[in-house]
Amino acid sequence: MNWLRVFFVGGLTSYRALFNWISPWVFVPHMVGYPVFEILFFAYLGRFAEVQSDEFFLIGNAFMGIAVTGFFGMSAAIAGERRSQTLLTLLASPANRLALFLGRALPSILTGVLVAALAFTICALVLDVSFTGTELRGLVIAALASSFACSAFGLCIGSLALRGRNVTLFADMVAGSMLLLSGANVPLERLPGWIQALSEVLPLTHGIEAGRRLADGAELGDVSGLLAAEVGIGVGYFVLGLALLRFFEYQGRRMATLEAF
Amino acid sequence: MIRAFWSGMRIHWIMFSRNPFDLSGVLLWPILYASIAYYLLDAKNDPELLLSASLGAAVMLMWSLVVIGSAGALEQQRWLGTLELLVAAPVPFATVIAPISVASGAVGAYALLATLVWGTLLFDVPLAIEQPLAFAVAVPACVLAIGMLGLVMAATFVLYRAAFSLGIAMQYPVWIATGLLVPLSVLPDFIGPVSWFLAPSWGFRAIQESALGLTPWPDIGMCLVLSAAYFAIGSLCLRWFVQVARARATLKLT
Repeated sequence: MNWLRVFFVGGLTSYRALFNWISPWVFVPHMVGYPVFEILFFAYLGRFAEVQSDEFFLIGNAFMGIAVTGFFGMSAAIAGERRSQTLLTLLASPANRLALFLGRALPSILTGVLVAALAFTICALVLDVSFTGTELRGLVIAALASSFACSAFGLCIGSLALRGRNVTLFADMVAGSMLLLSGANVPLERLPGWIQALSEVLPLTHGIEAGRRLADGAELGDVSGLLAAEVGIGVGYFVLGLALLRFFEYQGRRMATLEAF
Repeated sequence: MIRAFWSGMRIHWIMFSRNPFDLSGVLLWPILYASIAYYLLDAKNDPELLLSASLGAAVMLMWSLVVIGSAGALEQQRWLGTLELLVAAPVPFATVIAPISVASGAVGAYALLATLVWGTLLFDVPLAIEQPLAFAVAVPACVLAIGMLGLVMAATFVLYRAAFSLGIAMQYPVWIATGLLVPLSVLPDFIGPVSWFLAPSWGFRAIQESALGLTPWPDIGMCLVLSAAYFAIGSLCLRWFVQVARARATLKLT
């Protein structure tokens, strides 16, 4: 049961350390302002291009908000330990690695989901987009599936932080690429075939598609295939992430790169 | 002061250009935004629109580099413990901070080149600059004006430890308000007057109009006027905020 203690106590302490020092003058613009303005930016770009509706961009970018925290949670947790020179000490402990780092990442991911929901609500009001209760319930289910898949993908990115020095920038670039590759802002049929093929194996693509169909009134059963694909992709990345975590810790020890910053 | 400014520019330009991994981000982001615009606009019959999207995406990255680069550089000084030393230096603090902002914006020249090449190779965007002389003046004028706006932002970064987060949060609002990818005519009316006070609006117009062969010189002039105004405002704010930070003894906090 020690891994549960590591997961909860370590995660809570790390979370408090992460947010305690941030002034509300910085916290609010960063956490809420960024996703709100991102949604509005692409919604207005869509209006200019006369492509799709505001709802299309609202759902796509709200899901992007969830994805970003999933991508960053794990890598930021490991990169933070590296930056404060505590990574070596942490890895010298016999604690379960997954509990150790997931405990630090999960609270940030949950905060991200809540912030994305808040941004979604604000932008729905600004853009005058409305949903029924059933549509919203469907969106929540699709968002949870995407959150899992993106966090699992984030585990793979986060494991690189055990080897590389600047993985946060890499996570940023991956998250940025998802703006295009996942179909969040460009209808997939407008993209070249090779991007469409790539998007099939990335997290988020199927979740966004399911969310959009549910918001258009589809039943949960109609999108079960898309949701299953999203969760299946998440499971695949989760297994890969665990393997990479173990491999890069071994590599980091062998090449003495754990203290490099 | 001039020597301190140029030395700072040179050092920060070298620092920002040294890491190939960081530079890959500089190249990727504008290409990404330009690609989204190309696929959304699907304007194969309107090459001017695609060229404007390329230039807009490049100026977007210039602003991001300035606001994130200067915030990151200041945060780095905190972590290295050198921010206090910089404040205590005999040259005005604005002379130390301004080169960081301007050098960050200058790295955006890579972005401009990357989006133009990307657009030409993959989307057949015409690479015809109608007024090369005006274009050659417009780019540094745009960099200077955006850099000086970054100086005003940097003043607040001195006050807050989480400057980097604040820098990231400032990207989209300015991108929207300056009409870089989305024309102001699509946005709510009140944003138009806001854009008059923001350097990226004029910098983008200067570059765009010189590329398209219109009238860039008034926009270049506005870039210079705004640069002077920002420098005055930024210097005053920096002096004030440094006083506040010293009184609160927060300069050393990370």
